[in-house]
Amino acid sequence: MKSVRLLTLKILPPNRRHVFRDAPCARQTFADWWYTRPPGACRFTLKVPPPNRRHAFRDAPCARQTFMGRWNACPPGACRFTLELRRLLQSPLTWLTIFLTLLSPLAGLYIYQPASASTMHTMYLANPALAGGAAGGILFALLTVYELDRAGRSRMDVLVDAAVSPLTMALVRLLALAGAAILTLGAVMALWLPITAKLIGSVFHMEDYLLAYVIFMGLALPLSILAAASAFQFTRRADLSLAIFAAFAGLSLTVWSDRWQLCWLNPCVWALSDDFSNLRIFRSAAWMRMTWLGALTGIWILSWLSIRQYGKGLLGSLSQSLARNARLLYRPAAAFLLLVCSGTAFAAQPFVDQSNPDQTVMTFLEIPFLEGVSFLHRSVFVCPDTAAGTVAGKAIFQLQNHSGQTQTLAFGINPGYKISSVQANGRDASFSVSDDQEYNESLLQVTIPPAEDIELSIEYGGFPQEDSSMSAMQGRLEISDEYLCLENSVLSPRLMNVPPVNVPLKNVSAKDVPEAEYVPYPTTIEITLPAHMTVIPFSPSQPEKLAENTDGTITWRYEDSGTGGILYAGDYLRQDIEAGGLTIQLYYGRRHQAVMEAAGAAQAVKAVVDYCTEHYGPLSFGADGTLKLIQSRVSGGGYARNGASLLDEVDFTAANLDDAGKGTVPGEVMIHELVHQWWGLANMFDPASANDAWSAEGLTVYTTYRIVKELYGEDSSSSYARENYVKKWLQAVDDYQKNFYVRNPRYLAALPQKEQLNISNSLSYVRRYNEMPLKILKAEQLVGGEEAMDAILCDLFNRELDYTYPYLTYSDFLDACGLTEEELNLKKN
Amino acid sequence: MEINIKNVSMTYPNGKQALKNLSLWLRSPSLVGLLGPNGAGKSTLMKLLSAALLPTSGVIEINGQPLPQAEKSLKARLGYLPQDFGLFDELTVEQFLEYMATLKGISSRGSTSSPSSAASHNTFASRHSTMSHHTTTVKDAIRAVNLEKNAKSRIRTLSGGQRQRTGIAQALLGSPDFLILDEPTVGLDPEERIRFRNLFSRAAQDRLVLLSTHIIEDVQSVCNQLIVMNHGKILFSGTPEELIQSASGHVGVFWEKEAQNNHTAPRPLCITEQPLHVTNQPLHVTNQTLHITARINTANGVRCRAVADTLPPFAQPEEPSLEDAYLYLISREVTQ
Repeated sequence: MKSVRLLTLKILPPNRRHVFRDAPCARQTFADWWYTRPPGACRFTLKVPPPNRRHAFRDAPCARQTFMGRWNACPPGACRFTLELRRLLQSPLTWLTIFLTLLSPLAGLYIYQPASASTMHTMYLANPALAGGAAGGILFALLTVYELDRAGRSRMDVLVDAAVSPLTMALVRLLALAGAAILTLGAVMALWLPITAKLIGSVFHMEDYLLAYVIFMGLALPLSILAAASAFQFTRRADLSLAIFAAFAGLSLTVWSDRWQLCWLNPCVWALSDDFSNLRIFRSAAWMRMTWLGALTGIWILSWLSIRQYGKGLLGSLSQSLARNARLLYRPAAAFLLLVCSGTAFAAQPFVDQSNPDQTVMTFLEIPFLEGVSFLHRSVFVCPDTAAGTVAGKAIFQLQNHSGQTQTLAFGINPGYKISSVQANGRDASFSVSDDQEYNESLLQVTIPPAEDIELSIEYGGFPQEDSSMSAMQGRLEISDEYLCLENSVLSPRLMNVPPVNVPLKNVSAKDVPEAEYVPYPTTIEITLPAHMTVIPFSPSQPEKLAENTDGTITWRYEDSGTGGILYAGDYLRQDIEAGGLTIQLYYGRRHQAVMEAAGAAQAVKAVVDYCTEHYGPLSFGADGTLKLIQSRVSGGGYARNGASLLDEVDFTAANLDDAGKGTVPGEVMIHELVHQWWGLANMFDPASANDAWSAEGLTVYTTYRIVKELYGEDSSSSYARENYVKKWLQAVDDYQKNFYVRNPRYLAALPQKEQLNISNSLSYVRRYNEMPLKILKAEQLVGGEEAMDAILCDLFNRELDYTYPYLTYSDFLDACGLTEEELNLKKN
Repeated sequence: MEINIKNVSMTYPNGKQALKNLSLWLRSPSLVGLLGPNGAGKSTLMKLLSAALLPTSGVIEINGQPLPQAEKSLKARLGYLPQDFGLFDELTVEQFLEYMATLKGISSRGSTSSPSSAASHNTFASRHSTMSHHTTTVKDAIRAVNLEKNAKSRIRTLSGGQRQRTGIAQALLGSPDFLILDEPTVGLDPEERIRFRNLFSRAAQDRLVLLSTHIIEDVQSVCNQLIVMNHGKILFSGTPEELIQSASGHVGVFWEKEAQNNHTAPRPLCITEQPLHVTNQPLHVTNQTLHITARINTANGVRCRAVADTLPPFAQPEEPSLEDAYLYLISREVTQ
């Protein structure tokens, strides 16, 4: 600093020295001069540090003033924004809004809980963030209308409009409100971070926390500000603006609440995983937010152009805005472009397919097998992009065409995939993808030549889409470097009209062939994944490491059978448990290790398997003496197949495992899914009777109740089992019988098809999960008690199978019990 | 700065025609007084000049450029004090002025002069500085309106006069080239009125100031140009001396009793308390109209002051004041 001062004094022209000498702050004046010095005024530029360097301020007695001077020299737009934000933050109403928004996540813990899953992240992160977004959005919309209305109401706009264009000021106000929203979000996140981390416990994940608050909560605030500001700028009336916003927000919170693209204020989030990533649901919610952000920004620009100016009305102001300057046409053009982009984003969303909502329609299953075409082998090479959540793959089918004619093969593929190449014996084959979608599959038809031996190669890939019927429960097809699940046509194209090897049936379809006979679809699957991911085929197969690649990935290979296949992979730990004469391979997420060990999950699994084996006999599906028990990402349930059973992570949450009322057994869904190994694999019950109350679920739910009752101990848990099973069944059946549409089916028929389906599916669920277990319980009482029923069920489980019709029917059950259907009738007289 | 108003008419959406084919030429430096009764079109004219309205027809040129194109540059050089305005009550005076200075882009645009510190005009710092100019400008404006003691006070705590002074201060921010002041001295005490009168006079030394007021004293002493409007038209545009000259021989005083004794005239009516509001009930004297502008009770009776095209015999001619001249001008239009 000393050298600077000396040099300054040396080069100053005499007539300017007094300016510095007399100035109250000499350095400040020097800085003034520095920035406005005439060219060539000094030759020591390289030697003297410019005054905006930090050390130039450090020793200055008026350093702050000098800094403020620099700050005040910021561009006008930035200065206006800063000043407007500062002014906004002086308002008590702004602070009230911020304070209430800070508290709003509390509503997600107690009042507003749209996400229904019971994972820790759902309960203590998703719901508070969603509640914060909804409440914060509404609060900031109120603040927006108040602030915009206030300028005119207090006649402040007369002064402001004389200084700056009303359009500029509206933009500055909007940005200031958005700035306040961002500051509020930061404060909310800082405040709730320790609270959330403490509530969630050891599975807390910072990335999920940040994304949840930014996407679920944060983006609701600018959307609300834009919506409220647009309403006000169009109407210029606070009351009308509030009414419009209330209607808009009300739609989102009610009618649109289960339509994931429309619920702009409260995204459709039903669950966040504790143990694995949640990128898919974050992507989906962000897509919805961005779609609305584009649309509302476009609408806001139109409302902005309609801001009343020059004493004119809405249209006059709008036309004046457009007519003043041809160069400004980019403004309406930008609005139009944003609206088009958001419309396109709405229509071409990549997350959910267009599957037929009528789930009783199964035309793909009814496609007849081709005559003269047989399946030899399938090889699948899959390479998921865990960063983008996409899949690229190639499936090679070895087939034989004995017909001597061209044949059209039918495949089911995920609707999100694009087919990039189809070749038969090295030549391009014609193919088409139908727009018809069923059960999350599109129909791919490929024409193969009349050659005897066919090698059909299909290259596919893309971002897999989820079933539209589950659009409000997205996240199933999570693909990340923490977790992925590739099911059937998501893994590779699923061949639908070629019979298995050695089953050249005529005039039959896939539906007519028992699963056991599908086994001869030999398949080899190779998948390349990041090295830390554990590959878990949902089958008896064990993967082998094929190659360690230079990019840090590993290629795995395993053998499978069937036309589809399910593959799980992720950051898993494995624990082997000997139970029921089997080796149970228990897989669970690494994040959950502490919770699982503390809960003694392995011992619980052993107890359940031992119980079922003892009462009903050993598993007939335990492949090679092993059973994989795989903890999946939160999925709303589980399923089982030969050699593997899926367990939803919901039943492993710390809260669930610590529930003293349930004893030490970690969750009944785990028991339920394990019981499906005894009751419920697809070949035991006829899948055609979609609306039949008799299904795998009746016996499974009943058996689960029995196990829970026994494991929890007679004194305490019998009441628990009665409260949580029998009483709930009774209540559900009672509600079912009182249901308006059950009593008046003609009104159900009069409803729109979609409503009919929703109601029918709901009623069907009650019949399978509540009515049938209750009937079995009644049968238990009629046949003489639990031991008698156990003996009957043991006989049924170990009965001789008729392979032409291997299903266990309701008549079989009634016959085994010696009862009639009428005797089990639950209807009240 | 030069403003040229050519054949401007303004009709509001409700059909009311506020200005009729009005033409005017204003150029700095000048302090222009704008006079006229309520509804004359003064506020409409000021709104047009501040780009708050666009004329229905005609053109307003700012330095030769049509207003719509020159709006941004006009606003950057405009200080505007409307008659009815609001302030952000939660801010202090200093914060409010900083806010307005920022809106006006003063921090980045710099200024050419300061209303209260003419001595600093030629200093190197004020001509070239952008750093701390913002703060200086605000302080200058506060000093100019004598609000230093209230600089840190919240606006909600200010009296009516202090709020008015705050409004004046924001208009003075950045030493704008063009000042529009609509009733700036309303609510101020006499001492402050004189102070502001002088302030406006100083400010007009190198810029254009348009001062609309009902208080003749405010314009009499400081304006070098007067514009008198009524019914959307300009009745007079010239110097105060020219306006006074036009009323010479048309102002007289008389005893009310003498006028009543004149059988040709009905009983004179009282004038309103507003000195600028001429009575609309003219006194007819031998087919001529006499407009009473003042009525004073004295020990000898009521002494009246009136204007007329031709004074009646009982009226003694008086030297016209600016107020007389203004009233004479308006009365002529009323009579016609």
